[in-house]
Amino acid sequence: FHRLSRRLHQCLQLRGSYLVTHYKQYPPNTSKVYSYFECRERRTDPTKTRKVKYDQTVFYGLQYILHKYLKGKVVTPEKIQEAKEVYKEHFQDDVFNTKGWNYILEKYNGHLPIEIKAVPEGSVIPRGNVLFTVESTDPECYWLTNWVETILVQSWYPITVATNSREQKKILAKYLLETSGNLEKLEYKLHDFGYRGVSSQETAGIGASAHLVNFKGTDTVAGIGVIKKYYGTKDPVPGFSVPAAEHSTITAWGKDHEKDAFEHIIKQFPNVPVSIVSDSYDIYNACEKIWGEDLRGLIETRSADAPLVVRPDSGNPLDTVLKVLEILGKKFPPKENSKGFKVLPPYIRVIQGDGVDINTLQEIVEGMKQHRWSIENISFGSGGALLQKLTRDLLNCSFKCSYVVTNGLGVNVFKDPVADPNKRSKKGRLSLHRTQSGDFVTLEEGKGDLEEYGEDLLHTVFRNGKIVKTYTFDDVRDNAKLKDSELEELLH
Amino acid sequence: MEAADFNFLLATDSYKITHYKQYPPGVSKVYSYFECRRKKGSPFNEVVFFGLQYLLKKYLTGPVVTEEKIQEAKLFYQMHFRQAVFDEEGWRKILEKHDGRLPIRIKAVPEGRIVPRGNVLFTVENTDPSFYWLTNYIETMLVQMWYPITVATISREFKKILAKHLKATTGSLEGLDFRLHDFGYRGVSSQESAALGGAAHLVNFCSTDTVAGVLMAQRYYGCPMAGFSIPAAEHSTIISWGRNREKDAFERLLDQFSSGPVAVVSDSYNIFNACKHIWGDKLKERVMERSEDSCLVIRPDSGDPAETLIEVMRILEECFGCSLNSMGFKVLPSYLRIIQGDGIDLRSVNQILEKLSDKGWSAENVVFGCGSALLQKLNRDTLSCAFKCSYVETNGKGMDVYKQPVTDPSKRSKRGRLSLRRNSAGFLETVESGAGKPEEDLLVTVFENGCLMQNYTLEEIRKNARLQDDEPTPISHNQEPLNQRIINGVH
Repeated sequence: FHRLSRRLHQCLQLRGSYLVTHYKQYPPNTSKVYSYFECRERRTDPTKTRKVKYDQTVFYGLQYILHKYLKGKVVTPEKIQEAKEVYKEHFQDDVFNTKGWNYILEKYNGHLPIEIKAVPEGSVIPRGNVLFTVESTDPECYWLTNWVETILVQSWYPITVATNSREQKKILAKYLLETSGNLEKLEYKLHDFGYRGVSSQETAGIGASAHLVNFKGTDTVAGIGVIKKYYGTKDPVPGFSVPAAEHSTITAWGKDHEKDAFEHIIKQFPNVPVSIVSDSYDIYNACEKIWGEDLRGLIETRSADAPLVVRPDSGNPLDTVLKVLEILGKKFPPKENSKGFKVLPPYIRVIQGDGVDINTLQEIVEGMKQHRWSIENISFGSGGALLQKLTRDLLNCSFKCSYVVTNGLGVNVFKDPVADPNKRSKKGRLSLHRTQSGDFVTLEEGKGDLEEYGEDLLHTVFRNGKIVKTYTFDDVRDNAKLKDSELEELLH
Repeated sequence: MEAADFNFLLATDSYKITHYKQYPPGVSKVYSYFECRRKKGSPFNEVVFFGLQYLLKKYLTGPVVTEEKIQEAKLFYQMHFRQAVFDEEGWRKILEKHDGRLPIRIKAVPEGRIVPRGNVLFTVENTDPSFYWLTNYIETMLVQMWYPITVATISREFKKILAKHLKATTGSLEGLDFRLHDFGYRGVSSQESAALGGAAHLVNFCSTDTVAGVLMAQRYYGCPMAGFSIPAAEHSTIISWGRNREKDAFERLLDQFSSGPVAVVSDSYNIFNACKHIWGDKLKERVMERSEDSCLVIRPDSGDPAETLIEVMRILEECFGCSLNSMGFKVLPSYLRIIQGDGIDLRSVNQILEKLSDKGWSAENVVFGCGSALLQKLNRDTLSCAFKCSYVETNGKGMDVYKQPVTDPSKRSKRGRLSLRRNSAGFLETVESGAGKPEEDLLVTVFENGCLMQNYTLEEIRKNARLQDDEPTPISHNQEPLNQRIINGVH
């Protein structure tokens, strides 16, 4: 009961305060409000070249919101009463739509009379297309559509994490292919280090799960719980990790005992990869003297399945990586692979987990390529940039009303602010289709009804309190995987 | 206490599962601390300490270890690492010896306190030698403190800017607490972050649309109603009337909300046209009938924030006139105000107010709304928040420990047991190497062996965090309508 009442309580408070007052603001005799969500295109100034374009987005995370916050019975009389009291204090006025919520309670047993249609989760869709639509299904509840805006717009976050993660996968795929000829272990090349750097436990779960759409390496355990609970996978877990040191497990030995720390830890984990942070005092000394000389024997006996992974964690990322590779290369001579790039012996690798974002990632792999180092030698960890350094503005995620029915007549509505054409919104009822050439197109003003472009790619996922379509995480990963055409494009 | 299905053993970075095997043999204590490191070139010199009580109450107090959770964690980590590394016995000992409560002590600076960068903010240590590994197990969760600290700090920086301009153009700080409205609910990454960030903003201000923050402050910081709002339109409630009925939409709003302030977004098609021809002409009389307590607040939402605002004010002056306040700055009639809620961050809010005052406008004309710049556009690097081990005891001997990476001096950590004191010049400073005098230590034990040891209220926190020259503005809940204060702060 306690858990249920918390969820019920949450639903009534899930919106921005001003939304509480909107039921009074729509035109009289409005019987439907229909809204949609997109990652708007941004017609930028051609003189300003953005480093990363994000032309397409990965649609992910709506299912979590539907399951956790919108499905089933979301109100009780007690919760309506409590909300009424809270809003009375909050607005210093009685503006809460008690009547409207009681109607939902009585007629629908507290289930939300709205319908949500969405593109399949994991789909990769170009900017500027409709991703999901929301409409009220009961004429009395026209106000409900935008009541749920605030919570639904938070889907910007899993969409943006998954998209940014996938763009990094493309960079890694390109350079891995160019410097090694294959894509082995691509899915472990970008490890999620972001748990401590996000704003809350809940964000950690959502964000980490979004990264796992594209990769399999994570230390943000919370993400796996989200996937298990809200999506499901055929494998027991969707994400993996390896034993690794942190600074405290090195510095606790004392400054003069770094070698003892390294030796102890490497011996604790003989048969699996072990990552050891090596910059507590002097990364270059650690690589050259401790790993390269004192403990060399211990490293050389490790198998290819259980390498030592040296982890720098300070200094300029590219410079540090190149210097570390150079030093290790002197002590553990590399071989040349079929593409002519250097690969360290299989028992030693490097992980760069400091200062990694999509831009520095590109710089580092490009720098390595120029110095003839294969990307097989390295993997990356990313924290803040992967899960936190993102905002709704990165992909211009937006929810807008596009159609209403007033006095029985449907009207296409939109905004079109004179000072910003980028903020113009779509009109009317929307649908998403594929053209003959395989491109995506959003039809506005109900034109999808004409069936010229075939079926609507938006499917009903939620209706009147019930989730009517779900996707497994395997579906999501499948929809989001890199396509051959994308890989070809990357190489040219 | 968090809901039964939150598993504390799964709330950490994976690699920390393997650390109990990595510390030196014979270790009996690991002592760590948290700070917002100093960073050259950072615009933020001091931070607001806030949010720890939330974490303690929600995740750390009481029995957090159960046999079911141990089993769940064991199974999970076996699959996640593809081998058995999980310290099942270690966790079971917590269950047996301490009833599932964490044998940890946390000492912290009181919440709401303003502390210069580079000082210890809280320390963590194990209280039972068997659980040396526990201190840094909880690092992941505790480092998330970066978020409420950073939001509260940024929010307070906004307050400093607003205070400066308000004082300069009106001579007082009336209504300062309502000058920055939290618009960030939809732009944060989750409901929980909305609640935490929303509450952090309420340390400095009283206006918010992020209801979750109000509830968080109620549940975890004992404040019945920490923030207020006013009825307001959104684009859908305007555009749903159709393009040529914007005036009808506006009029509806005036009718529906006649007894208090109402904010009306006016840029759906053409903000300047809306101000000049609709508000300033067709609905002019309706606007003028409103009082100071029920003023119209016009909201632009596109275009260059400063330029749009200035042009809007020029048009409104033309249509409605203005008067001069006691400092000689122009004020719109009391029934009319503006809220600018688009593109607002620390830099733009300062720029806008500068430009306004250059044109002779008082800061009292405008209230600001801020979304992502307040609650999302920040990260752990904004204030360089870090948690580091500074002291260990091995085989009965204590040792100060630290990191000092050769390629980055700013990443150097503090050494030994730490305390925070006020020096003879009155400034806060951190004493390292256990040299601090206990009676001077400003760090207070807030958590010990599963129990909460302090309970701060938002009221105390607000007092601690107030601006230097600020007289505490009374924020009681049973006085006459707060609405007027929300807009122009005149009692």
